[in-house]
Amino acid sequence: MRLKNLPLRLAKGGPEQQAIEAGEIDAIIDHASSNVILLPAARRALQEAAHEASKANSLLAALPPAEHQRLLAGLEPVTLKFGEVLQEPGVPIRYVYFPVDCAISLVTTIEGPEVGLVGYEGAVGISLALGVDVSSVRALVQATGTAMRMTAAHFDKTFHQCPALQRELYRYADAKLAMARQIVACNCFHAVEARLARWLLMTSDRVRSEEFFLTQAFLAEMLGVRRATVNEAAGPLQRRKLITYTHGRIRIVDRKGLEATACGCYTRIALNAPLRRSSSASPGLASSP
Amino acid sequence: MSRRQHKPRARGAPVTTVVVLRLYIVGGAPNSVQAIANLEAICREYLKDGHKLEVVDVLEHPRRALADGVLVTPSLAKLSPLPAANVVGNLSDKAKVLLALGLKGKVQ
Ligand SMILES: [Zn+2]
Repeated sequence: MRLKNLPLRLAKGGPEQQAIEAGEIDAIIDHASSNVILLPAARRALQEAAHEASKANSLLAALPPAEHQRLLAGLEPVTLKFGEVLQEPGVPIRYVYFPVDCAISLVTTIEGPEVGLVGYEGAVGISLALGVDVSSVRALVQATGTAMRMTAAHFDKTFHQCPALQRELYRYADAKLAMARQIVACNCFHAVEARLARWLLMTSDRVRSEEFFLTQAFLAEMLGVRRATVNEAAGPLQRRKLITYTHGRIRIVDRKGLEATACGCYTRIALNAPLRRSSSASPGLASSP
Repeated sequence: MSRRQHKPRARGAPVTTVVVLRLYIVGGAPNSVQAIANLEAICREYLKDGHKLEVVDVLEHPRRALADGVLVTPSLAKLSPLPAANVVGNLSDKAKVLLALGLKGKVQ
């Protein structure tokens, strides 16, 4: 192995070195440079995993292989945890995130209700693609999971060389804007229970699971209502056996029933909207439920 | 000699020494995946509920690995009960792990 070049302080013949020689080590922590150095086999395994994971994001999966490959060099998988803030309004965007199985809420201010929800169908930080390097929203991780992340600098450099990515992101940006309009209108005009149902369905779609974790406070914040109001809305959904909600864990029991309860905004903000070609009309609020 | 710290207990009360372990890994890397599986199997078999295991991903928390003096991953540290002990590698050598955990006498 190429360990001779590494500035290590591993004792000769010590247990660490023996384990390295036996192929049982993934990484060396180099205290001299404060770096974690991945050994080749581990590096390969992680790269392959990243490649696979990135295909689970619809925007990345839609790219031709050459472009996908070019982007991968700048993408790293990260675990995003519930409650983590990725972006703040008015603050420069540091990363573009392509969710794999996490969900990220976009809110206008610290207290404001949600204006967008991003999952594997989309990306966070795409203002960069539109030439804006400061975030206009707060991006809050709503469901823990993995995302592929790219630095803003790398994105700037790569974006212009990737025509397919440009197309995907412009289309997605438009869909995201439509979603924001729809949600803002929804927050104004539709009943909390219908909005709650809509919101649970949207979250479930994005985390690709019928079960996810949500605190009441978070729900209240997203819907722009008080906690008591969340309870009043969640109660009937539980009694009608559409969902169960215990210790912050939500489970969608009857999806059809929940869909029937949700306002029409749910279908208008369908998960695959960003992937739809420009055929369909833009969503409106003409027919409220 | 390893049974020195037995305290007298009421008859029938279980002897519960909680073993505190920390495993440093690189999430998703092959040896780390194996180490987690191997350690969990050992804990299930020998420690049941009498242990606490914390898994630290050194890519996510490099500073912790540096501060704790970790040299390679996977690396298992037994923090308590004393004496502290360390095992590096994918923990496939069960006897070595049990020795480090102070459970050598229990190996069949
Ligand atoms: Zn609505």
